[in-house]
Formats: sequence, C-alpha cells, structure tokens
Amino acid sequence: MSYSGVMPSARSRAMVRETRHLLFTVTPGAFWILLFLVLPSAYLMGVAFMTNGPYGLPQMPLSLASFERLAGFGFLGWSPGNLYTLLRSLWQTLVSTALVVVVAYPIAYYITTCREKWRPILLLAVVVPSWTNQVIRTFGWMNLLAPGTPLSELAEGLGLVAPNMGLYPSNFAVTLGLVYNFLPFMVLPLYGAFEKLDTAQVEAAQDLYASPVRAFWHAVFPQTLPGLLAGIVLVAIPAFGMYVIPELLGGGKGMMLGNLVANQFSGGANWPLGAAGAILMLLATFIGLYVMRRLGKRLGGGEEVVI
Amino acid sequence: MRKRTLHRGLTGFWWLTLAFLYLPLAVVVLFSFNSANSSANFADFSLRWYFQLLGNEEILSAFGNSLVLAICSSVIALGIGCVFGYGMYRHRHRKLGWLIVLIYLPIVLPDIVFGISEMAFFVQIHEWTGLLSPGLGTMIIAHVTFQIPFVALIVYSRFVGLDPTLFEAAKDLYATPVKRVVHFMLPTLKPALISAFFLSFTLSVDDFVISFFTAGPESATLPIYIWGAIKKGVSPEINAIAALMIFAVAAAAILSLAFSRRRPS
Repeated sequence: MSYSGVMPSARSRAMVRETRHLLFTVTPGAFWILLFLVLPSAYLMGVAFMTNGPYGLPQMPLSLASFERLAGFGFLGWSPGNLYTLLRSLWQTLVSTALVVVVAYPIAYYITTCREKWRPILLLAVVVPSWTNQVIRTFGWMNLLAPGTPLSELAEGLGLVAPNMGLYPSNFAVTLGLVYNFLPFMVLPLYGAFEKLDTAQVEAAQDLYASPVRAFWHAVFPQTLPGLLAGIVLVAIPAFGMYVIPELLGGGKGMMLGNLVANQFSGGANWPLGAAGAILMLLATFIGLYVMRRLGKRLGGGEEVVI
Repeated sequence: MRKRTLHRGLTGFWWLTLAFLYLPLAVVVLFSFNSANSSANFADFSLRWYFQLLGNEEILSAFGNSLVLAICSSVIALGIGCVFGYGMYRHRHRKLGWLIVLIYLPIVLPDIVFGISEMAFFVQIHEWTGLLSPGLGTMIIAHVTFQIPFVALIVYSRFVGLDPTLFEAAKDLYATPVKRVVHFMLPTLKPALISAFFLSFTLSVDDFVISFFTAGPESATLPIYIWGAIKKGVSPEINAIAALMIFAVAAAAILSLAFSRRRPS
C-alpha cells in the first residue's frame, strides 16, 4: 500500500480521511437504496407473516395464513386456484424461455455470419422494438390476435381455435407475448458468445471427420453455453414475475404469479397473501441466480454470466 | 453447397423473425391513420386521431407527467449515482461486497416486487406521518432507486478504464479537491454522464409497472394512461399516442446509430 513507511500517526490520520471519504461518497447512494428499497422489501416480507385485516390491510397477530392460502387452503376448504396460477407461471416461463432459445440461437448465429459493418445495425434491428413501451407492444398483439383479424381467421380456418373466439385472450397469446418481449434479451448474450467463438475448434472437428451435428454439439455449443445461461437468467426470471402481458393477453384464465400478487394490493384484496406471493417470487429469483452462477462458474464463464 | 443452403435458410429465418418483431408495432402505426372508429378494419387514411390528441387534456397532462418524472428522477439519480460510482472506484480495494449487493438488488428484483414493496411502504409511512402521499413525489423516489445503480455502474466503469496515475497527477499538481472535480473529474466523466442521463431517462419513460404502483390519482404517465384506456375498452386515440411513442423510439434509434458511426472506434 502507498502508506507503508509513513509514521503511524500520519498513517492513521490518512486512514481516517479515507474512511470519511468513503462515507461521503458512498453513503448517499447506499442510504437511498437501503431506505427506499431494502427497507420496503423487508417491510413487505414482514407483511407476509401478518393477518389479513379489513380492506386487505395487514394486521397483528403474526400468522402463516397467507402461505396456507397460497397453497390453496382457505376458509372454504382447499381449492387449487392459486396452485394453478403458480403452475401456470412455471409452465409459461419454461415454454417461453425454450421458444426464445429456439428463435434466438439461429438469429444470433446469423448476425455473426454477416459482414462486420452490418452487425451493429442488425443487432439494433432486433433490439429497437423492445425500446417501445411494453404496454404498447402488448397492445399491438391485442390488435393482431383479436377475433376477426387475419391471424385469428387463419387459425379458425385451420381449426386451431373455436369459431369467433380469436387467438386472444388465451394462454397461447401470453406465450407469444412473452417470447416477443424477451427475444432481444436472449439474442444479445448469445451474439456475444458467437462473436468470441474459437473457429479453430470447429475446423479441428471437421478435419477429424466429425459430422456437422457432432461438430456443432462438441465444438460450437459448449462455447456458447455461458451466453445461453446469461440469456436464460435474463429471460426466465422476469418472465416468471411478468404482470403486463398476462394481464392484457391472458384474460381471466391466463393469470400468472405477478397478477396474483398485484391483484392482492388493489381494491381491498389481501396484502399478506400478495406479500407471500412476492416472497415466493424472490425465492425463485435468488435460487435461479444462484444456480446459474454455480453453473456459470463450473463452465468457466465466471462473472459475465450474472449480468 | 450445404453451407449455402444453410445460409439461405438462416436469411429466410432472419426476415421472418424481423417481421415478427415489427408486426405489432406496424399494426399500431397503421391503425393510428385509420379514419374508422374500429380497429377491426382499415377504412381510409386520416389524421383525425392525432388532432384529437391535441385536444385531450388528460393525455397532455400524462405527457407532462412523464417528462417531469423522467427529468427530475434522472437528474437526482445522476447526482447520487455519480458520487456513488466514484466512491465504489476509489474504495474498491476494501471489501465492498455489501455495496455490490445494494447495486445489483434494484436490477435483479422483479418489477412487480419492486413496485409493490415501494407502494406498501409508502402507504404505511403515509398512514403514520402523513408524508409521501402517492403522486409524482413517490414516483420520482421509486424511479431514482432503480436508476442509481445504472448511473453508478457507468461512472464506475469509466473510472476503471482511466489511467490511475491521472488521479495522482492531478493531486501532485496541488489541485484543490474542488479544482480536481471541476477541471479533471467532470470533463473526463462527461461522456459517461451524458450516456447515464439518457439511459436513466429512457428507463424512466419506459417503465410501467413501478410507476403504476407508486402513482397517485393525478400523476398518470403516458404508459399508465394507455393502460387505463386499454382496460376501459380501446379508444382509437390510443393508436395515435402509441404511434407517436414508436416514432420517438425510431428517431432515437436512428440518432444513436448515427452517433455510434461518427465516433471512430
């Protein structure tokens, strides 16, 4: 350290100055986030363990009732409604993430095969739609999938949906909306992985007479895995807690955990139940981040995997 | 031969995906020029919905709220985040693990949990003290909270990219702290601060969920207004206001492309 050889008193004075400097620079931001994010989140966690009072507001005594409600136990006995919502969130997350990978993987590869000066423009073309507000993009899909539109009539003609039903509101519309929304989040990290691809490995595989499929599986795919994992984190975690898309495209039957949580905080519903749902979402987020981090470290991708 | 087929297939897939990405936006823009009331069929080209926007006070006030919110929150976040980023850089040799948690928490927290915990907290504080009634004030607080990490990270990475001897040089030349800030820190940080401001601004304009839960009755922003109109049953004006927002984004995209091309990389 640069202080070595300095008199102890001067050194300790420098330390004090450094500490004061640290406090002055870091405190405002840290304090802001502590006060307006950590404290509210902690408060919300506390709410989950309280009893539902009048107007849905939290009340003493402490109880686990809201977690029981989340599992389906209410004063009318057990009903699977909340569990269905949970399962639907998991299923929608799984399906839409898988579909996003299927679309984004060739797209990211395609961009790397193009001339270098075109690549930023192609990437921008993929990203620009996500710059418009999520509500507007989802509204666009409502217009496209409503009954009577060409897409809906096509689906009806093929016998995929009942006549005059349209493609929205439905679980299918929610899946479509999720894929649409998260595609750029997968393309960007995958593109990063493809750009760094070591082609010597691919050539070596080809020289050793590996079939294209084997060459891809053993030489290309492992190299893109860190990007893929980063993309999965960026897609799956926000998809699991999505609010806007299921609310607009799902109708009453397409609700996901985000809607369940949000609905408990409006119109005299049940704050503790909503807070319990929020805890579940947080748990899923942190478990997801942790697993991806571990996987990423094992793959040698290291820090870049988690943001 | 096989390679060429693959490339052709990929090109086809690329154009299909592009169509998928732009189709919903194109529909909104198309129907914003529709003269008919319904969005089921396109009657005739007209600008009537755009003219109706100008007379709609609710939309104009939502537009104003969006601007005030984005500017105020970005300026505050810029001030706090800039100092925060510098502190992170200067003291990174210490164990600042807890700071990293604070930085990443607003980024990884799901929107809905973020918005709801702020809302529940503000409601509780309001009940106890009468402060923080829902409105632009609470929205600004919430937006600053998610903007600070982005500003801090941008400033931090700018400092990390600098030659550390520059800091010592400024000190060795007996610059006072104020002079060091004015003549050294701010000029070197300028590009980072500009991009941090625009990022914060964009994040604020783009946000719906967090705004929605921290808003008051008088502080609807454009996305909140559009949301309400969709929920009530669509009025064709929505297409026009949405189309205007799409045009703004397109303009921003073209500008950013022009800037990135001009800069020699």
